[in-house]
Amino acid sequence: MSIVGNISHKKSGNVGNVAVRQAKTRKDSILDAEPLTEEQLLKKGSVSPDDVLRLPHITENYLCSPEANVYDIDFTRFKIRDLETGTILFEIAKPPPADTEDNEPDPEQEESDPNAGRFVRYQFTPQFLKLKTVGATVEFTVGNKAVSKFRMIERHFFRDKLLKSFDFEFGFCIPNSKNTCEHIYEFPTLAPDLVKEMILHPFETRSDSFYFVDDRLIMHNKADYAYDGGLQQ
Amino acid sequence: MGFLTVLKKMRQKEKEMRLLMLGLDNAGKTTILKRFNGEAIDTISPTLGFNIKTLEHRGYKLNVWDIGGQKSLRSYWRNYFECTDGLIWVVDSADKRRLEDCRKELHSLLGEERLAGATLLVFANKQDLPGALTAEEIRDVLELEQIKTHHWQIVWCSALTGQNLLEGMDWIISDIASRIFTLD
Repeated sequence: MSIVGNISHKKSGNVGNVAVRQAKTRKDSILDAEPLTEEQLLKKGSVSPDDVLRLPHITENYLCSPEANVYDIDFTRFKIRDLETGTILFEIAKPPPADTEDNEPDPEQEESDPNAGRFVRYQFTPQFLKLKTVGATVEFTVGNKAVSKFRMIERHFFRDKLLKSFDFEFGFCIPNSKNTCEHIYEFPTLAPDLVKEMILHPFETRSDSFYFVDDRLIMHNKADYAYDGGLQQ
Repeated sequence: MGFLTVLKKMRQKEKEMRLLMLGLDNAGKTTILKRFNGEAIDTISPTLGFNIKTLEHRGYKLNVWDIGGQKSLRSYWRNYFECTDGLIWVVDSADKRRLEDCRKELHSLLGEERLAGATLLVFANKQDLPGALTAEEIRDVLELEQIKTHHWQIVWCSALTGQNLLEGMDWIISDIASRIFTLD
């Protein structure tokens, strides 16, 4: 959802909650703890929030299967807006299930990639990296079971550099509910050299979004980003 | 240094507040939230879950939770009480028929242990509608003067025009800040 966050916001994910504030202090020390490789994690079998916070790189694989999402949590909308101008910069909404049959099947998806829907590619112009205040919204629906301790951890990397680690606990979700969450945040002033590199190397800026229920990984989505829109033919 | 002092110091550093926005359905909670954050308010439908916004305002990091107010959803409100610093109770000032229902729901919330430490702001919303009761009238119908357990304030507003939203938010933030962040 968020594109590039503030490096200084590394520890800013949170819930206004004393228990979690304590947990957060723990997490901060975990950030300094020994890194964990993806191989070690895949062998381990189950994946916790503390595990993914220790990953030093973007993941190569998905750390859970699409079937791990036993709560039928479905992301139905992503939106990014610029608060300075009030402009919606990006919005993608999933059509309601009834509409999908009318759509032409995407020839590239006829092979039925099991990971379709878990990956998004974003293409932005260089201007995007100059934004000041951004609001990133997700909308999601929940199946007929109540969800407790729903938590999102999103990590953005440019190559091996961690740009942002975002951690937010939604907590309880009502059965059959539709929910939204908008994070409004100050866009960082990235070093000019870094910006240049990010523009020159499309899709080397990547993110992992991990979703947990009761500290167990139930969804893993990926995205990559280009910022050279309008620079090519 | 006691445990509470440690916690308060942590919070002071983070300057973070959790605000919970509740009220009967159609009171205007989502419209207030969107209007306050400069979003379009022309396509709002009943909330069947929650809307969260995290934002910075006056140097504080606010986590605002707007939970659907339909009767079938009210039993779930309790799941969101934990660690609430401020409760924003939104009232449709023109919906006279349901003010009694509104009073009961509010007073039952104020008896909740997990909301005991929360500041209460009542938004007398929809002041743009003809026939809306004034904030003073709402205060009397909701029997706010009886509240001795919470810091409270009632503020008239119109989510449609945006009038007075900032004043209300500023009051609740200041009250919470004076309770929590100025200890030393």
